Amino acid sequence: MDKPRTDEDQQLVARTQSGDPGAFDQLVVKYTPRLYGLVYNMTSNHEDTNDLLQDVFSKAYKAIRGFRGKSSFYTWVHSIAVNMTLNFLKKRGRRFQLSLDDVDASIQNDKEFLELTATSSPVREADLSELQRRLNEAMMKLSDEHRAVVTMFHIQGMPHAEISKILRVSEGTVRSRLFYANRQLQNYLDEFRKNPVA
Amino acid sequence: MNEFDDNEIATLLRLKRHEQPPPGYFENFLHEFHRRQRDELLRQPLWRICMERTHDFFFRLNVSSLTSYPAAVAAVLVCAAVISLRIYQGPETMVAVQSRPELSATADGEGQWTLSSPVATRVFSTRPLRNSSESAHTHLRGSGTPPRYVLDSVPVSYEATFKF
Repeated sequence: MDKPRTDEDQQLVARTQSGDPGAFDQLVVKYTPRLYGLVYNMTSNHEDTNDLLQDVFSKAYKAIRGFRGKSSFYTWVHSIAVNMTLNFLKKRGRRFQLSLDDVDASIQNDKEFLELTATSSPVREADLSELQRRLNEAMMKLSDEHRAVVTMFHIQGMPHAEISKILRVSEGTVRSRLFYANRQLQNYLDEFRKNPVA
Repeated sequence: MNEFDDNEIATLLRLKRHEQPPPGYFENFLHEFHRRQRDELLRQPLWRICMERTHDFFFRLNVSSLTSYPAAVAAVLVCAAVISLRIYQGPETMVAVQSRPELSATADGEGQWTLSSPVATRVFSTRPLRNSSESAHTHLRGSGTPPRYVLDSVPVSYEATFKF
């Protein structure tokens, strides 16, 4: 995933701080899809994602005057989103209901999807929607912190350095969490492969 | 040995990018955001709205030092102190300005005074102004009440000078 241009963001932030609400609207439009993916894959619930995303931008708008530009707006708003989502998940606990979005038709043109289904692999034999559901269940079995790094690295495509800035942990911690999370996901999906009917 | 290796796990996770919200969701998101902001603003108490508007006004003037709440509170306290000081000093100052020092009354036992009386310092009372019924007695000589040089609420010249 390409990192947004920071100079354009800096201009929009400066305009927002000067009192131009239209500038912040442009930031909202720009970052909503990206932040939606982040929050959705951490919560696996569309309704919760919508509410959280509204709160994230509301908080960002109130706090933007204090934004000094030490980090990029991209990192800053992602930090807000991750922290608010983690706090929400702690309060929600285990009482959650999966509310998954549908897979967009564009997946049919995805190169990796085509490669995955073309080769002889467990994925080819399994129904994709069922596999998606299993994968989401496996994701929810991870701890909130492990799920966050999996979402940011594998799904959002962020580098380790960026994730470490957002979570305010070392890169080593990010790598170890990813390693542990991958093992957990593998174990769970292997169980599904061996016992498809659960 | 795992059936799913790291690459397949990573690929499956990347495919989750294709999980999208219903059509039109992102287009409506901004409208929903504005609506929630308006609702939140209406729920705020009036004093908080005024405070935030004042905060915004000073921030747009790029007076960063004044945008801090402690500085704003200090400024409000200073203004309040100045205003209260003026109010406290106001009546006595007004009386001292309006009265002529050379005409200040000399306290005597009978409460009478003359223009030739030497100048003396007298502490004026700050009692409320007399009403119009008392104004007729201002210039009566020999009365027990010393004349006052503070304008009454109804000047004598405003009183009706003739009656049918």
